[in-house]
Amino acid sequence: MKRFSLLALALLLFLTGCAGFTGGSEGTQASEGKTEDGKVKIDFWTFWGSEIRRPVIDKIIEDFNNSQDEIVVEHTYIPFGDIWTKELAAIAANNPPDVVINDINATALRGQEGQAENLAPYLEKDDISGRFYENLWDATLYEGDSYGIPFNTDTRLLFYNKDAFKEAGLDPNKPPETWEELEEYAEKLDKKSGDTYERIGFYPLYGVGSDVWLLNGSGMNYFNEDDEPVINSETNVDTMEWIKSWKDKYGEDTINRYQSQIDSQQSNPFFNGSLGMMANAATFYTQIRDYAPDLDFGVAPLPEKTSGSGNTSWGGGFVAEIPKGSSHPDEAWEFIKYLTDKEAQEYWAVKNFDNVANIEASESAATSDELSEKDQMVYEMAAQNLNDTLLTPMPAYAPDYVNLINPQLDAILIENKPAQEALDKAQQDVEELVEKTAQ
Amino acid sequence: MKKKKWWTMGRRESLQGYIFIAPWVIGFLAFTLGPLAFSLYASFTDYNITSRMDFVGLQNYDQLFTGDDLFWTSLYNTLYFVIFSVPLTTIGAIFISMLMNQSLPGMRIFRTIFYLPAVLSGVGVYLLWMQLLDPGTGLVNTILSWFGINGPNWLFDPDWTKPSLIFMKLWSVGGSMLLYLASMQGISKNLYEAADIDGAGTWKKFLHITLPLITPVIFFDIITSTIGSFQIFQEAYVMSQNGSGGPASSMLFYNLYMWIKAFQSFDMGYAMAMSWILFVVVLIITIINLKLAPKWVHYEGDDK
Repeated sequence: MKRFSLLALALLLFLTGCAGFTGGSEGTQASEGKTEDGKVKIDFWTFWGSEIRRPVIDKIIEDFNNSQDEIVVEHTYIPFGDIWTKELAAIAANNPPDVVINDINATALRGQEGQAENLAPYLEKDDISGRFYENLWDATLYEGDSYGIPFNTDTRLLFYNKDAFKEAGLDPNKPPETWEELEEYAEKLDKKSGDTYERIGFYPLYGVGSDVWLLNGSGMNYFNEDDEPVINSETNVDTMEWIKSWKDKYGEDTINRYQSQIDSQQSNPFFNGSLGMMANAATFYTQIRDYAPDLDFGVAPLPEKTSGSGNTSWGGGFVAEIPKGSSHPDEAWEFIKYLTDKEAQEYWAVKNFDNVANIEASESAATSDELSEKDQMVYEMAAQNLNDTLLTPMPAYAPDYVNLINPQLDAILIENKPAQEALDKAQQDVEELVEKTAQ
Repeated sequence: MKKKKWWTMGRRESLQGYIFIAPWVIGFLAFTLGPLAFSLYASFTDYNITSRMDFVGLQNYDQLFTGDDLFWTSLYNTLYFVIFSVPLTTIGAIFISMLMNQSLPGMRIFRTIFYLPAVLSGVGVYLLWMQLLDPGTGLVNTILSWFGINGPNWLFDPDWTKPSLIFMKLWSVGGSMLLYLASMQGISKNLYEAADIDGAGTWKKFLHITLPLITPVIFFDIITSTIGSFQIFQEAYVMSQNGSGGPASSMLFYNLYMWIKAFQSFDMGYAMAMSWILFVVVLIITIINLKLAPKWVHYEGDDK
């Protein structure tokens, strides 16, 4: 008997253990649907947890919650490294959040894989597609339907040091317009004492990758309108050889020395004048503002490969999407509409100095009183530049194609592989990948 | 009568036993064996986690072996890493534990210092090493330059990325050092005294007394570090450019490539096929190790 009761006790303990778990999950489920006063609760996941971003997004949410009395948005911050794998697991478990901020370049892929809700039915009722830059909007489409609404974006510009320009006898209000001019200017800006460079004019791979220059040179993505890969084009071979020539010009030691200064942020050689020009994201300006407030600099679009080839720049960004299986998609849509409308977007743009997807908000942010003169100058240039900014959406038929291209680009620059040969190989590999996925 | 016989003391005790281990058994079935079986099945499908799971037969495996260069690259990188890091870290750990096994004043402090890296782990350490290995301003190249050596580009040169990681691993051998040290301290002093009387030197003593008696720990260390090295992921994810295994795919390790396939291309079936191939590879190597063990592993009190 004694033994039996011991056994029963053990079982009981075990069962209460289990009950504890179920109790817990029931609790969260009950609180998920609605609040006490009957409002619908929306779970909103972002990775914006920094001191700068969090208060801004929280304020936008608060404004939305106060603007109507049917929906309450709750913000959940999840670190960048985890958010999308967590979202994926939540979708697979049929218990996803209602709105998630996700990578714009993979939106079509998520549409194909059934991870995000098709937003076409909502767009039929109120079409908000006209709010956004065309390139951003197009990146959200899979088979013509949108699976996420653009929120913010970025673009690459050329920053140049006006003082260094004056010192080298260049007109500080005339930034280089072509690659040829870029080389010419750089040559003038270079300053050597003995064998070491005290200042270098320009190096294309500080701030951006070779893919940005490929885009800039060819004016197009790695894929053409018919979804065929175009990697080993004459222009691209030319571009890679051009980048290589810069590398040969300055030499490995100088390049590495500068690179490690750039990596450490505060001592970026652009801040102290030992780098004359640099291509970087428009938001690089916030670093200049914080670390080198007295720097006299200018911003310009990326130079064209040849006159007339276009100042194409590269950008990325994020969308707000409704994960598949959200329990309140209609309310989620209402929130997304608010999030991407002029007011919220302008607030985000001004407070974070970030490029937003909404054209109207972007344009009015550029002249906002809250921005200083320098802020406005950079912001305006960035907003203009968005019209020339291409995205690189992951094609749904070859999502990880860059993993086949990047090693070849590295091989050209690091291992001195001939550009033509390397790009031919990349072309062939990507073609094979596309072919296989099509099967 | 019959019933009483069935419910014997033995049965009751075994039932109790099962109940006591039930939490573990249930956990194992639900969280280990279940997913394992699921992944085996899913490796024959085009599973994408959310919306698709159609049976495709051997297509994933066929593609891996015949049509995926990156798969072979990642396998090569991983094998390279295993082949160099396992012996080097083992030898390194034995060497350090030998040094730590001397009776000198202040030895505890040294032991703590050498063990410390094993306590630190994760991304923080990797970021620290990225600074140390910086070609221009990093401490490693600065020290090398004092001796007139022009240090390599470490994490930026495809030929040096894997050696960089192995170098980093050598720094954190403290964990296995502790195992060796414990086992060395367990060796009876009599043996060394007897050897001293016979006139054996330090090297002879190490070769004929210490080494044979710590072989069980060496064996354990080799098995676990081989398995661990095959699973290298975080280092490459954090320390390579964009977390994609660059430059020139030189840090594209097996698990990193698997992760990219699973969570960036959402090709989970393919990634699961990869995980099964790795499982088989590791299984074979472990079996070989187990089969070779009796030839060199010496257990005390074992007559054979």
